[in-house]
Amino acid sequence: MPGRARRPAMGLMVGLAVIGVLLALRILSPATGQATWLADAARDFVSLSISVVIESLPFVFLGIVLSIGVQIWLPEGFLVRRLPKSPALRRPVLSLLGMLLPVCECGNVPLARGLIVRGLTVSESMTFLFAAPILNPVTIITTQQAFGWDNGILVSRIAGGFLIANLIGWIYSRHPRPEALLTPRFQEECSMEDHAGQATGKVGRSVQLFVRETGAMMPALFIGAGIAGLIQVGVPRDVLVSVGSSPVWSVAALMVLAFVVAVCSNVDAFFILSFGATFMPGSIVAFLVFGPMIDVKMLALLRTTFTAKTLLQLTVVVALCSAALGLAVNYVL
Amino acid sequence: MSYRRLLDRWLGVMLSLIGVVATLWLGFTGQLALYIHPRYFAFTVIMAVIAAVLALAAFALVPQAMVPQDPHGPGHDHASGSGHDDAGKRRRRRLGAAGSTLIVAAAVAGLLVLPPATLSTATVNQRDLNGAASTLSRDEAIELVGADYTTFTMKDWVSLLRQGAGQEFLAGKTATVTGFVTPDKSDPENVFFTARFVLTCCAVDARPIGLPVYSPGWQDRFETDSWVTVSGGFETNPSQISGETLVMVPDSITAVPEPDSPYVY
Repeated sequence: MPGRARRPAMGLMVGLAVIGVLLALRILSPATGQATWLADAARDFVSLSISVVIESLPFVFLGIVLSIGVQIWLPEGFLVRRLPKSPALRRPVLSLLGMLLPVCECGNVPLARGLIVRGLTVSESMTFLFAAPILNPVTIITTQQAFGWDNGILVSRIAGGFLIANLIGWIYSRHPRPEALLTPRFQEECSMEDHAGQATGKVGRSVQLFVRETGAMMPALFIGAGIAGLIQVGVPRDVLVSVGSSPVWSVAALMVLAFVVAVCSNVDAFFILSFGATFMPGSIVAFLVFGPMIDVKMLALLRTTFTAKTLLQLTVVVALCSAALGLAVNYVL
Repeated sequence: MSYRRLLDRWLGVMLSLIGVVATLWLGFTGQLALYIHPRYFAFTVIMAVIAAVLALAAFALVPQAMVPQDPHGPGHDHASGSGHDDAGKRRRRRLGAAGSTLIVAAAVAGLLVLPPATLSTATVNQRDLNGAASTLSRDEAIELVGADYTTFTMKDWVSLLRQGAGQEFLAGKTATVTGFVTPDKSDPENVFFTARFVLTCCAVDARPIGLPVYSPGWQDRFETDSWVTVSGGFETNPSQISGETLVMVPDSITAVPEPDSPYVY
């Protein structure tokens, strides 16, 4: 592999040089004043998008640092060994494992694959996979920071995520041949990951995980921030208000948005916060429950592990449950 | 190493560093308040420093540690490397590389090249001025009624007006507020608002609040979005077509520079 022989000191110099160039660019660019050649709306689009990035970045980094700690620095099997033996108890406990493995949904797919290899059933790993992005401390903190305790959004998100993940686990635990749910390529990729893990020391694996996690999350975050800014500036307010005030259409609209924008669950509360004033609380809950479980990016990631038919079933079940939850919040609470 | 491979591997780290440099520079120059609530300042800066250390460690160690196949990558839009080299896959990888380059360019332009800016009237028009979300609870507004009005902020005055403080309470009281100029939608010729944005978390949730000011021909003296300090009492709105019942009738309007902390919390 090219570059293998490069020494750490050389790499460090390259890193410092990159930071130096970026810093010089920022210092040499105008620090104040307005880019008057940009229309007001375009300037506000930039400001809104940047604020999503600046607000979300520390939480994304926190999630990555915690996930490095749990995946690499905790002893192997530390968590799995302590699970209850009874399947009925294992699933609820597994869905709460996200509290200890605070990674966002992109990081959970490799983790869930690892869990299957270590002897968990397919349905148990699904329970973990769908519960963990919602029932993890970073997601709960950011949702609380964004919405507080208003309108039951935080509680509905946590309870809804727990119930839907366990429902999925229960449904698939009744499947006669669970291995048929998995793609043939999956085993091969798992063993590759294990091999990669053994290849270097803990520090090396930690930075490797940092590179991989940022590689998965940052593009999604920047694209998501851009879309958030664009919708705020570009979609006429009348349209947002009329869709957002309908109990049914608001839920449908935000679920479609969740599917398309695919923002990580760690920071999706900040993304959707701007809709809080115009959209009904149930639609916000549907967004916050559906998005972490199913979106375009998750389907692409899950396709590495599950067959297309399984993913279609999962999407339908999760979408129906999220919609029901959203409508219940809109009509009942 | 090919450009695509380089981009696949370093895209996340590059975007992180762009964000980190922008965050630290904004923190250093005291401009983080343009984007986020002050309660996040310390946390944001600390995490940025930690991320910078990790990114530097990645530059130093990853060339040795990284295996060429990235199991996290195949599913991701902008990653590749699953080894299935058919034509469709190559085309997707080319598109992915172009997309990744575009994201980096946009991030550099937005975070490192353009000057930081506050939100403008364009966003006021997209959101309700003094709109649905209450800025203060009713209890707080009632407490305001007996308080020393000379210390009132714009948020206090707006809360009082929203809670229906009558003319008898406002008679003889002078308010002094600073905000940016944004026209009254119903009578833009004669009435403008001195406005500020209220932040809960970050600029994305900014809600505009403002006090209406009756000042015919204000456009000749002040530009929309420029900052002013207005001092004056409250009276019934002389404008026949404006939707505002009570307005400030200014004793003085002074152009001022944009404050360091343009938002209120």
